[in-house]
Amino acid sequence: MLNEWKNLWLGLWTVFKHLFKKPVTLEYPEKKRVLNGNFRGKPQVSGCIGCGICKKVCPSGAISFAKDENGKVYSYKFDLKKCIFCGNCSFYCPKGAIRMGDEYELACADASELELIYEGGCNDK
Amino acid sequence: MTTTTLKLNLGPQHPSTHGVLRLLLELKGEKILSCEPDIGYLHRGMEKMAEKMTYLQYLPTVDRIDYLAGFFYSELLCRIVEKAMEVELPDKVRAIRVMLLELNRIASHLLWVGAFLMDLGAVSPFFYVFREREMILRFFEKLTGQRMMYNYFVFGGVRRDIDFLDGVEEIISILPKKIDDYEKIITENPIFLRRTVGKGILEPEIAFNYAITGVNLRASGVDYDYRNSDDLYRGFDFRTVVLEEKDSWARYKARISEMRECVNIVGQALDYLKRAGVLEQRLINPLNLKLPAGDYYSEIEAPRGLACCYVRSDGGEKPYRLKWRTGSYYSVNLLRKLLVGEYLNDAVAIAGSLDIILPEVDK
Repeated sequence: MLNEWKNLWLGLWTVFKHLFKKPVTLEYPEKKRVLNGNFRGKPQVSGCIGCGICKKVCPSGAISFAKDENGKVYSYKFDLKKCIFCGNCSFYCPKGAIRMGDEYELACADASELELIYEGGCNDK
Repeated sequence: MTTTTLKLNLGPQHPSTHGVLRLLLELKGEKILSCEPDIGYLHRGMEKMAEKMTYLQYLPTVDRIDYLAGFFYSELLCRIVEKAMEVELPDKVRAIRVMLLELNRIASHLLWVGAFLMDLGAVSPFFYVFREREMILRFFEKLTGQRMMYNYFVFGGVRRDIDFLDGVEEIISILPKKIDDYEKIITENPIFLRRTVGKGILEPEIAFNYAITGVNLRASGVDYDYRNSDDLYRGFDFRTVVLEEKDSWARYKARISEMRECVNIVGQALDYLKRAGVLEQRLINPLNLKLPAGDYYSEIEAPRGLACCYVRSDGGEKPYRLKWRTGSYYSVNLLRKLLVGEYLNDAVAIAGSLDIILPEVDK
């Protein structure tokens, strides 16, 4: 019986000590964490040559290309509604044209805002 | 006098069923006469999905089979491809993988401790384990770019070299003290003891019949840990935690002790990585990857038991058929046996002690 009380108080004392420690949480959204440059958020595209490897490695079909009547790639579309932020496109891009950015608050009222279209970037093929 | 039985649905939205598990209980008074687990609420068709995707496309999605231990399932799929293409992993890649797997195991067990104690009515430990788990997740985020869906292992190696190890050093220096703290609060607490000692006794014979593996089996006195014969862990020195008590308390204690052992393994991997030079690996080109026709099999000791992946390839870019074996699936089935004869208020405590996670069950 004595032992039980001892163990109970030992546990309570360990919990009690936490009252005098600083909080470990952050008051989001007033304060935000500083992300390291490696975070996989909203992708940024620049310098695309339209090779199509990103489309091939994408697991969720988020990437599509549009072609003109000559069969030339003229725009690159990234559908963030489908994207699972796996970073395959960025890792396998031969030109390093896709960078996974730091932006992660992607909620918006209009779904079309989640379709990133980069026009003209793929014309230099 | 006539006696009636009561049928009670526990779940699928019950907060302490750890996800969407529905238990159909038949009660006589407070005593459970039978238990019928109903699963499938979280079925995403992970196995069928593989047949429509190339191996590279499928790799990022396997983290979602068990979101608390994503590295293990990436490792299994990578192993399948590495085995098929006959690629030997360099020592540094092995060390990185072992370190990440064991950190992932610690993170998974930590969350289990919190959730299990929450089931029993203790709230404080839940916050403490999240604090410690956060250190591990921060390190994973720095390395892989995300906190839970890592997609860091690639066929033949890893995505990038680790050039910062101070986060891991901090984890392994702090964690043993924190585990001591948990033990002070939990292990000998009389309320915890009354809710767990002698409850949900799992005899080894029953465990064998229900194909139970992992910590649950080791807490029943069976010395079986696949890591001992795993080639990935070659050269690492660690102890297998085996307890004889067979009850819920033993399953708790085994996980706590295993976390200490994981810290030891992470320490060994860290020592190696500090000495190792630049990462040299021969990655398999995944873009036109075709596995030679045949059957491939890989297994690993995941936090919730033995996890296996079986692939049948017809020589094409996509698997012909893929099958996962996950530990929790068998633990859920065990509830049919384990809950019979127990009281209703112990049902959640016993189910919690088995460390069931539903995405892994439903796949």
